[in-house]
Amino acid sequence: MDIDDLLAEVAVDTTPLETRDLQELTRAWVAERVAPEILAWPAELMERVLERVRRQIELVEDQTGNLDPKTNFRLIVVQTEVERFKFLVRSFLRARLRKVWRWMGEGKREANVLQVDTHPLHILAQHTASADDDANASHPLLSPAEYQYLTSHQALLAAHYGASFLSQFPNSLQRMDDTTGGISMVDKPDEDAAVFVRVLRDVGEVAVEGTDKRLEMKRGDVWVVRWSAVRGWVGSGDLEVI
Amino acid sequence: MALPLPPGLTPPEIAFMCEMELVTIIPRQRLEGLELLGGPLKPLNPPQRASIPLWLALLLKRQRRANIIPPPWLSPHSLAAILKFETEDSPVAFSPPPRLPPLPPSTTVPLSSPFLPSSTADAAADALPYHWLELGSMLLEAAPDDFDDADEVRKLLRGLREARMAKLRQSVEVLDAGGGFKMNGVGGMELGEARSFITGVVDGLRKIGKSREEARKERDRENGYSPSQDYDDDEMDMR
Repeated sequence: MDIDDLLAEVAVDTTPLETRDLQELTRAWVAERVAPEILAWPAELMERVLERVRRQIELVEDQTGNLDPKTNFRLIVVQTEVERFKFLVRSFLRARLRKVWRWMGEGKREANVLQVDTHPLHILAQHTASADDDANASHPLLSPAEYQYLTSHQALLAAHYGASFLSQFPNSLQRMDDTTGGISMVDKPDEDAAVFVRVLRDVGEVAVEGTDKRLEMKRGDVWVVRWSAVRGWVGSGDLEVI
Repeated sequence: MALPLPPGLTPPEIAFMCEMELVTIIPRQRLEGLELLGGPLKPLNPPQRASIPLWLALLLKRQRRANIIPPPWLSPHSLAAILKFETEDSPVAFSPPPRLPPLPPSTTVPLSSPFLPSSTADAAADALPYHWLELGSMLLEAAPDDFDDADEVRKLLRGLREARMAKLRQSVEVLDAGGGFKMNGVGGMELGEARSFITGVVDGLRKIGKSREEARKERDRENGYSPSQDYDDDEMDMR
């Protein structure tokens, strides 16, 4: 062990939890903005961050009446930072929401209306699978609020489709998650989409399915690679999406 | 409301991330310690140097409460050396990124840009960190008086940017459908600019290849063979 290693251990131990949480939140935000799929909801992290933001806002509210210029400037600094956190959290949530309702804002207009509820079904199925999996039960894909939003919106939409036209169809054509003929009606995001990743810990050889490529991923490397080939390592924190 | 933006970060978002980078300042006024959301801020006592996030440094600078010390790599001498490396020694690959600190114990979350101190006064002088272009431009804009020779730095940054953009454009030649190529040393803003093009080409090539693959499978099925992965077994059976 050389001096660098010793220094590193000291440095890591002194990194406050708040700073590490900010690192994790930033990483989760970038990943959600870039990755084609919705990623697991970081429940504990979000709980800690939101609680801190709430306390900080209370502090600002308590002290806003104070006209002492010194306190005033401290409040400006605190408020500026709160705004930055709020932006980060909001952008993160909105990026997730976008994947729940992919059609929003993609500018495809009416022609797409019939296709709108396809991704939600896929995400719902993934969420149920993640909640049923015992090892993962404490880390479901969606937050309670997202799950509620998705199911109630889905119920409204299904009822609307049923009332307006699906009920006129023969029974066999009424399903929205049909898989007959080898083609699933449930649309999925493009899981093979190319993403940029940075290697945080050596992961060794990564095989790209369907090709004979073997990528040797070393710490510090930046790779352009298919999402499907690396998502496991992104989930475990060995790679980060950039 | 869902976010109406395509995948990837926009330039303002990349700048937002860059503003989390630590920089070194010389405070001109006292500021008591603060419990900030991103970790505690130590009291600022002039003329003691302190390392604080860039967003705060810019705020202090704007109010003339501090001077910012540009990172060592943002000096004319270092930039000129890196530019020479980019153009003469390494005409294809980017110059290597700064050396990483040793890996932390596996129980903790490894830090990465913008949380590695790659732009403080004691950062490495011989390598461009991930947010080099954004950080350089922001400092030049907000604190040109803290540079010894701001114009020279500006000129060198522009030269570096051009040399590296040319490499980025060249790298298109190695793109293929399989995906998976290394881009070590790429910068945040450069990646933001090139992302949609690079991923578009890789995804597009993959989709072209996919339809060919599907067609071949279809043909195999019509000929009485099962899909290609079982092809070998079938052949054995027929013998």
